[in-house]
Amino acid sequence: MLAELLSRVAATRDRQAYAVLFKHFAPRVKAYLRRAGMEATAAEEVAQEVMLSLWRKAESFDASRAGASTWVFAIARNARIDHARRVRGLPSEPEPEAESYPSAEALTLTAERASLVRGALSALGPDQRQIVQLFFFSDKPHSAIASALDLPLGTVKSRIRLATAKLRAILGDAP
Amino acid sequence: MIRHHPSAETLLAHAAGQLPAGHALVVAAHAQGCPHCRAELARLEALGGELLDSLTPEGMALDAFTATLARLDEPPHPRRVPAKPRQANLRLPHGISLPSVLAGAEISRWLWVGPGVRYSRVRLPWAPNDNVMLLSVAANRRVIAHSHGGSEFTQVLQGSFSDETGHYGAGDMAEEDNDTNHQPRANDDGCLCLAALEGGLRLPWLTRLTRRFA
Repeated sequence: MLAELLSRVAATRDRQAYAVLFKHFAPRVKAYLRRAGMEATAAEEVAQEVMLSLWRKAESFDASRAGASTWVFAIARNARIDHARRVRGLPSEPEPEAESYPSAEALTLTAERASLVRGALSALGPDQRQIVQLFFFSDKPHSAIASALDLPLGTVKSRIRLATAKLRAILGDAP
Repeated sequence: MIRHHPSAETLLAHAAGQLPAGHALVVAAHAQGCPHCRAELARLEALGGELLDSLTPEGMALDAFTATLARLDEPPHPRRVPAKPRQANLRLPHGISLPSVLAGAEISRWLWVGPGVRYSRVRLPWAPNDNVMLLSVAANRRVIAHSHGGSEFTQVLQGSFSDETGHYGAGDMAEEDNDTNHQPRANDDGCLCLAALEGGLRLPWLTRLTRRFA
């Protein structure tokens, strides 16, 4: 399990565990960054930085709060935003204090949440799934959704609203 | 009791990292005080994790792993974090403090807008063009009617206000889109808000003021 490997990196700086994590996550993080509009060289470089952060921040991974992929996604998302600022010569946003991390009080088991989310994704129709995907994975979600689904830009907003409403109906107030 | 939350789309955009920095800051301030939205964001981040796992991997450079291994023991790059920002003492009401998400922001002194209405410019060094402000409105005063070029997020830090769309108390977040032309009014307890505006407020003289004091 990825979460277990991450905990091993945190506990004993286990390089073998790290190798497995690298093999799994680095190419996915790179794919994520590429989709967000990053050039191949920059995506490679930032993906390596994300993997370094994974090594350095492994202690802050809390398997009871988030799954391994969720945790890595958050690091990669922040690295993407930070990279966009760096190329414009802007400083980084200070990292929030641990206690203000938004996921802090998610009370239910991480595994339960993950299976709930998987269920929600498969319950969405293909178009709606694509909308959610593009929302997470593109530089300019609105125009990406418009061109992928061949929609006029003006209707994208309401389609996003429908997709998120459906997501929320499934995920609901569940954990 | 929090009654007004960010919309489902806004929470999704926040989890996906698609909100402008100023708007993201207001949502983060809301989430700090709202377990409901924190839990929702945790679910949406889990969705991001699930989607990340489902991506078709993109090959890394051949030496990527060895290059990374070689750097594991290097000290991390010093983050390009801005020096301690200048923050004016706003003399907030007793017991009220600014949300910790503002820790890295520059905060100007209060600037007069109109009778009973003051604002303080919040400048985010990592997004200096984002239009963020603290707004303090005395009891029963109105903010001049205005429209904006884009969406406006407002988190109530203390007191309450009402406008055409409802009543907003401490902990509530109001989301107005670009079509709203609204005139919020503080209630008997006055109101202190944190607001992010997209496209700037359409109040020509205020824009000039903001520029002069920026």
